Amino acid sequence: MFKKKDAEKSGMNIIIVGCGKVGATLIEQLTQEGHDITIIDLNSKKIEAITNTYDAMGVVGNGASYSTQLEAGIEKADLFIAVTNSDELNLLCCTVAKRAGSLAAIARVRTPDYIKEVDYFSEKLGLAMIINPDFVSSRVMARILTLPTALNVTSFAHGRVNLVRIEIPDDNVLCNRNIAEIGRDGITERTVICAIERDGNVFIPSGEFIIKAGDIVSFAAAQKESRVFLKKIGFKTNQVKSCIIVGGGRAGYYAADQLLKAGMDVRIIEIDQARCERLSELLPDATIIHADGTDEEVLKEEGIEDVGAFIPLTGIDEENVLLSLHAKHVSKAKVITRITRNNFKEVITELDLGSVIYPKYITSDAIIAYVRAKNNSKDSNIETLYPMLDSRAEAIEFKVEKESEVVNVPLFKLSLKKDLLIAFINRNGKIIIPKGQDSIQVGDSVMIVTTHTGFNDIQDILA
Amino acid sequence: MNSSIIRVVLGHVLKIEAAFMLLPCLIAVIYGEEEGFVYLAVAGGCAVIGTLMTQIKKPKDSSLYLKEGCVATALSWIFLSAFGALPFWITGEIASYEDSLFETISGFTTTGATILLDVEALSHTSLFWRSFTHWLGGMGVLVFLLAIIPLSGGSNINLMRAESPGPSVGKLVPKIKSSARILYVIYFFMTVLEILLLLCGGMNPFHAVTLSMGTAGTGGFGVLNSSIADYSAYCQWVITVFMILFGVNFNAFYFIMLGKIKKFFSVEEVRWYLGIIASAIALITINIYGTYTSIWETLRHVSFQVASVITTTGYSTADFNTWPMFSKVMLVSLMFVGACAGSTGGGIKVSRIVIMLKTVKKELNNYIHPKSIKKIMFEEKAVEHEVLRAINVYFITFVALYAASFIIVSLENYDFTTTFTSVVATMNNIGPGLEMVGPSGNFAFWNPISKLVFMVDMLAGRLELFPLLILFSPKVLKDLLFSNFIKRRS
Repeated sequence: MFKKKDAEKSGMNIIIVGCGKVGATLIEQLTQEGHDITIIDLNSKKIEAITNTYDAMGVVGNGASYSTQLEAGIEKADLFIAVTNSDELNLLCCTVAKRAGSLAAIARVRTPDYIKEVDYFSEKLGLAMIINPDFVSSRVMARILTLPTALNVTSFAHGRVNLVRIEIPDDNVLCNRNIAEIGRDGITERTVICAIERDGNVFIPSGEFIIKAGDIVSFAAAQKESRVFLKKIGFKTNQVKSCIIVGGGRAGYYAADQLLKAGMDVRIIEIDQARCERLSELLPDATIIHADGTDEEVLKEEGIEDVGAFIPLTGIDEENVLLSLHAKHVSKAKVITRITRNNFKEVITELDLGSVIYPKYITSDAIIAYVRAKNNSKDSNIETLYPMLDSRAEAIEFKVEKESEVVNVPLFKLSLKKDLLIAFINRNGKIIIPKGQDSIQVGDSVMIVTTHTGFNDIQDILA
Repeated sequence: MNSSIIRVVLGHVLKIEAAFMLLPCLIAVIYGEEEGFVYLAVAGGCAVIGTLMTQIKKPKDSSLYLKEGCVATALSWIFLSAFGALPFWITGEIASYEDSLFETISGFTTTGATILLDVEALSHTSLFWRSFTHWLGGMGVLVFLLAIIPLSGGSNINLMRAESPGPSVGKLVPKIKSSARILYVIYFFMTVLEILLLLCGGMNPFHAVTLSMGTAGTGGFGVLNSSIADYSAYCQWVITVFMILFGVNFNAFYFIMLGKIKKFFSVEEVRWYLGIIASAIALITINIYGTYTSIWETLRHVSFQVASVITTTGYSTADFNTWPMFSKVMLVSLMFVGACAGSTGGGIKVSRIVIMLKTVKKELNNYIHPKSIKKIMFEEKAVEHEVLRAINVYFITFVALYAASFIIVSLENYDFTTTFTSVVATMNNIGPGLEMVGPSGNFAFWNPISKLVFMVDMLAGRLELFPLLILFSPKVLKDLLFSNFIKRRS
């Protein structure tokens, strides 16, 4: 009785099936946010390890069975997430769960055959979300390689806006100048500098903020404009033309598919003959090489020294890290390293591995953004909430539904909170990078970037 | 070992003890007794020491692994008893500190074994505190801590695991804080219900409150020298029923709270528990038939004694020392069985006994069909090998500790029954045994070394052996004594 109220205040009842890599990451982050988590897994050892570390309840059993779901409290659950190894089991779990309770269901589906039918599945099975870490990571890889000077690129507003992270080299035009000056020179005409990382701290810059060499700057711009901005500040903007992928597994397939679509020349090195043949059917435009990709000679022969990008995607993290280090050593190629396990993150960030991608964080971030939005939607008009820069800052998209103090007032007249800025306004699909005389209108979606937390309404941006 | 988090847990425990010591002060105000000032002073002392321990330095790492959980639990109980014993000693109501400590440990571990010759001589304030230690010790002080203090991280389950009785400890709901709260809500509600029912029977409010607390924790400290014998038949029946209820696995009460009454009776452990009680009552009633005037009186006394012994409460309405041998042996056997896992009772626990018997049956079956494979089922689930191993090791450790204690106290050269049942009664947290420590006797005659053995047995029994025994491991002792833990405290 006493308990129910508590739970309503603090979070949602979430059931997670499968405690693999993504499952464990989700449990870690969702328990931190105060949700009531129940996990289901067949392996009692895994359940025990998880419940010993996190404040969650474990049920040993088959997540697709109705009685197991009942035991896990399906009747009171708000959200059901199936992230077992098997796509079919995930879909079955969600189908059963949807019938058992009124809840939103999220399934992980990775097989390429099903991914083509994502929309059909979501609609017919009533799924809130279908997640595919390999596919999402491949999209990220494609974004990075089309803008290779960026450290990474995130997209917002259904891909209309990019958030690009770049490291400012010595002698850049931006060095030792403040944001207001840069703005006056017209460099940031259609872009907005959202956040600056320096010595491990995140700053939301005001006009007086002075950029220094070595800073990592994140800026938001419409897709085409980001390239224009980078050109203005003297970054190379041509996209990578060729790339080598080592390993033709599921991740390799998705990456190759995305990169081919972006118009690159893709070479895949795969050790297994049968898989090579299958890949050549699936990806007729790619060059499939049947060889051991961890052999230096093979890599040399395939031209690692002058390729545009190198992506090791074997099933073993350690091997990928070594391959990346090797590539960095022998060539100037843009390197992307994928880390699937979470061990030793500190060490990994110290190594020169190029852009590092963590598929399970990408996946869990997407789910957590959904959970936050859903949890908030009861009493707020947050549309989406993205954790940025390892959750040290947040990008929040508000839907402006009614007149208020912030509506129809030129932005320079609003006194905003410190460490907060308005990144862009999405007015019926048109992206406006706001200037002082622009104003927010009813019906807009407004994206803000901030290091504060606990926003519920657009009015919260006022100081 | 992360000793700073242990220090913080101990600090919180002392603060909780300080807060609860204000309750006897309230009683002192009601009855106008001077002993209240002693309690107030000790409470103040505990609060200051506790605050110092939690505030001096924040621990860098707040994770409690199993080792830290066990050590923190064992030390918490020792601290709790050491400070809880102070008022008895300072007021002079119990002459020596070791006797006060015995009485307090007996209270917190819900044993109910006493060294007092005349209970009625105690002030109301001290009587209340004595019974209150049962209530707090029954559900556990760390469970209470988890219910109110936000300790971050999920590893706190190790605190609950070390304190809660039973072969495997689970949560009722995903959050440990909510689980701990639900347990205390059920516990509090049932205690209040018992108080109200006793008041309806015309019992004096002070007695109703203290006896209910003793029942709830399955403790057994009474407020009259005659234990429960002088109360009305109605009150005795109420206490019988509540003793049995508090010996039930609290997970089963959670089903009732959720409105799933059918599920309550389908819990296998509860069915065995009720079955054992019913058959014991039937057998003993037949055995002693004719001792009392009517069948109802016989039934009442037998039910009361059986309930009191199996739930390890230790109240009595009749001196079962005078009953026939078969009845006495039955009662002593029930002492070992104990209550359900996840209840406030002690003993080996019904679930362990049932699983052990099922193992024997399986082993016998293996002689007939050597190649057969059969999983042991309990609560409609296969029992994991790890659980079986833990139960077997528990039983062996129990027997070993029992034998060691038995041998040490036998040096005092009392009769076999007294020596044997003294250890039974303390290790299973019951209270009275047979002969000299029977329902009308007490533990005052033992010398301090034997008392120390009993104190260790009571704590080991309450904490299910391992959390206490781990304190004696050389590695842990070294870590505790030579880490800066001690330095920071002084």
